[in-house]
Amino acid sequence: MEAPESSSNPVPQDVHSNTLESQKAGSPLVAQLRKLIFCRMLVGVSDGRFFLGVFYCIDKQGNIILQDAVEYRSTRRSPSSPMEQRCVGLILIPVSCRSSCHIECGIDEQMSLLSLNK
Amino acid sequence: MATLPAGGGGRASTPPSIPAGDQTVWADAGPLITAACNDLQDGELIHGENFSLFAAMSALEIMDPKMDSGMENSGYRSIEEAIENNVAPVPLSLDPTVDVQRTIDVIDHLISCEATWHKGHSLAQTVFSCIYLLRIERTSSHALLHSYCRITRATCNAVISVVSEARTHEEEDLFTMAYGLPLKGDGDEKCLSILNSVEETISRQLRACKVQSSKKKPLEDIEPLQKNPELEEGYCRALLCRLRFRKHYYHVLMSMRKPQGKGLELARKHVVSCLSELAYMSKSFEFLRSSSFGSYQDAIESSTTASGCRPIGFDASLNSKLSAPTPPRATHILSWKKAVEYFQKLLHDLDFVCSLNLESMLEDLLCFIVQFQKLQPDLVARAHLQLLLVQNGKLYGKEFFHDIISKALGLPELTRDKEFQKNEFIVQLGQLIVNLLKILCTNTAWQRRKLGKCLQDWSVLSLQLEMAFKREFGELTNVMVDENMCMKVSRHLLLWTEEHTYWIASRFLTLGFELELYSPHEYCMVYWYMCVVFMKLMEKMQLRVAVHSENSQRRGKKKKDHAKDQIRDAVFSSSCLLIHCYICLSEGLAMILAALHNESNTFKVASPFNGEEERFVQHFELLQKAHVPDQISYYIFKESTVNVQISSVVKENYFREAQRIITSLRGCFAGNPDKLLELQQLEQVAERNRVAINVINQIGAHDPSLRVSFEFSHHPHFAIAVIRRS
Repeated sequence: MEAPESSSNPVPQDVHSNTLESQKAGSPLVAQLRKLIFCRMLVGVSDGRFFLGVFYCIDKQGNIILQDAVEYRSTRRSPSSPMEQRCVGLILIPVSCRSSCHIECGIDEQMSLLSLNK
Repeated sequence: MATLPAGGGGRASTPPSIPAGDQTVWADAGPLITAACNDLQDGELIHGENFSLFAAMSALEIMDPKMDSGMENSGYRSIEEAIENNVAPVPLSLDPTVDVQRTIDVIDHLISCEATWHKGHSLAQTVFSCIYLLRIERTSSHALLHSYCRITRATCNAVISVVSEARTHEEEDLFTMAYGLPLKGDGDEKCLSILNSVEETISRQLRACKVQSSKKKPLEDIEPLQKNPELEEGYCRALLCRLRFRKHYYHVLMSMRKPQGKGLELARKHVVSCLSELAYMSKSFEFLRSSSFGSYQDAIESSTTASGCRPIGFDASLNSKLSAPTPPRATHILSWKKAVEYFQKLLHDLDFVCSLNLESMLEDLLCFIVQFQKLQPDLVARAHLQLLLVQNGKLYGKEFFHDIISKALGLPELTRDKEFQKNEFIVQLGQLIVNLLKILCTNTAWQRRKLGKCLQDWSVLSLQLEMAFKREFGELTNVMVDENMCMKVSRHLLLWTEEHTYWIASRFLTLGFELELYSPHEYCMVYWYMCVVFMKLMEKMQLRVAVHSENSQRRGKKKKDHAKDQIRDAVFSSSCLLIHCYICLSEGLAMILAALHNESNTFKVASPFNGEEERFVQHFELLQKAHVPDQISYYIFKESTVNVQISSVVKENYFREAQRIITSLRGCFAGNPDKLLELQQLEQVAERNRVAINVINQIGAHDPSLRVSFEFSHHPHFAIAVIRRS
């Protein structure tokens, strides 16, 4: 892996996690996001590909790690092109290239997520 | 292109082709993530219980050009899309002259790709960057291109099967990776007949155009290759040598794979033809350069085609996303000139493999492999040698290893002995020899590591043999009464195994010089250790010679056999003498270095990290673990070098002794040019070092203006001292 370059370095750093363990109980939003760990997540990236995998980790900058991910890409430039897929395993999606992020959930959970959009 | 709004802010849609599961939907988590991340502390993570930061470090980083092979690179998204956009048209042009010219460019670029692949890049990014090869059926209407693509594919297949069978490629595992590539296809077995018929057509066209130019009436009505009569001959010739090269090269590979080395003679004939076609290819360069049209590549020297034009129908990025998610490596395709040179080298190396005498004894075979490795052969040639040596668990596919051992022991009467064959030591030793042969065929870096590791197996076997020998014959060891067969075999076996353990150790140490693993500060300990190992090796060899002559005398052999034995003994003793010469040189060098270390403060290990003793351990750990030789330690090394002075080195005259031996060896190696060359090199090393040591002695090692350095300009393992005064 490349050496860290800036504060938006996508490598997650867990150095303070122990000391912060007590503080983070505070935020309900963090608690809500924590519940989504191990749910299936679909992330779109800026070049038009999608990655579908198990939500594994996220850091403050918003860099996401997915487990057992599958890459979906269209085989043509046209919008209605068919997609091909391949397994890519454990991946790190830096926040800079993430264009969308969806989580698989039941209808009622969707409502609670949507309420945040207002 | 994308149907999504960019950025995490707005509402994003999911593609309809990726549905969520039953009873579930895709809910936009973007806003929640943004909000929750705001609440996180610096350095805080949200993760599951089984999270490990270490494992997370190995995640593939998306959109990192060095890791993400699927990254959009503004090229085509699939082979089909590229083909629809006319990237690889068939025919390559509607103008027949341009078509021929472009086909030659494709052929040339493919050769460059193939050489690049052999040099360690992935098949997908080299040969299979060719869209014509990826969709070979599309070319069937273009006989010339089709035949060339087919034979190229069949050749790649043959080479992959040799390399993966030989398993010499562990370090170069990229070579055989062909996942997802259309490497095999129906009809590839007919590739030669397709190629032959195309070759036949073009040679007729060549004949026809020659007849026309000499103003004679054409004998038969033949459609020319292309429309421009001035270029016809040149193009025909350029194509013919390329097609014929492919044909002979394929024949070389096929003949070398014949069982028991039965095709080696034939392979050598094809190698000669290949080399002459390669020479014609090089000659075609002038013509193709002058008659080319199209977009030129950047620099003439780095051009991947003879004409210098950019070839059409190649796109390395198409594949990188189709195959496994390996990081796409930056692949620099070799220039066409370099590729032709590579194939010349490969063919010379293959020819050397074919020159192996399948009757040679194990000792000679080991020398042959070492000699072969001096040519610095690439993977493909090494894999061929290995497969030739060990086939179906037999040497050359012909002889069982227990027979090889019985011959090497000088006890051919054991060949049919069932007890001997089944003996556990013999079985083990046979296995060790097979491994050794395979290791010796690998690349030198890998080889050295493996040799170091296998030393332990060899020394354990020696130890077991020695124990068994003592157990069974106890006190008899020193008694030279009429030995029984069993005892004789044990003694021979033990000596032979020990001798080869030291041979492996010496190869291990000398390979370190070739791989530049030693720094000048460490030369002293390395030469000292080499000297110790060579001494042991010579001791074992001499013992073996002694035992042999003892046997033949006792047996009262016939005159003819006796003469044979004498030749054998002479060969033995000359090998012993050569080792003796190595001993003198290594001892001399170790002593010069020790004296310089003691007297002039140079060649001292001065490092903040590890001292001399640690370096000693690092370099010789594998030898020490295997007790090769026994009871050798850093303290013994220090003890024997701590008091060395230049004057005493001069007195000892190590290099004079080496020169004396070299002179007496010249006659023994008269028929062996390789050995004579080495003697010449050793002579130079001895002479220069002898002079150097005298000069140092005269100036005085303390003199601050004295600068001594060591160079390997004459022999790969034995340095010469170079003196300068500042």
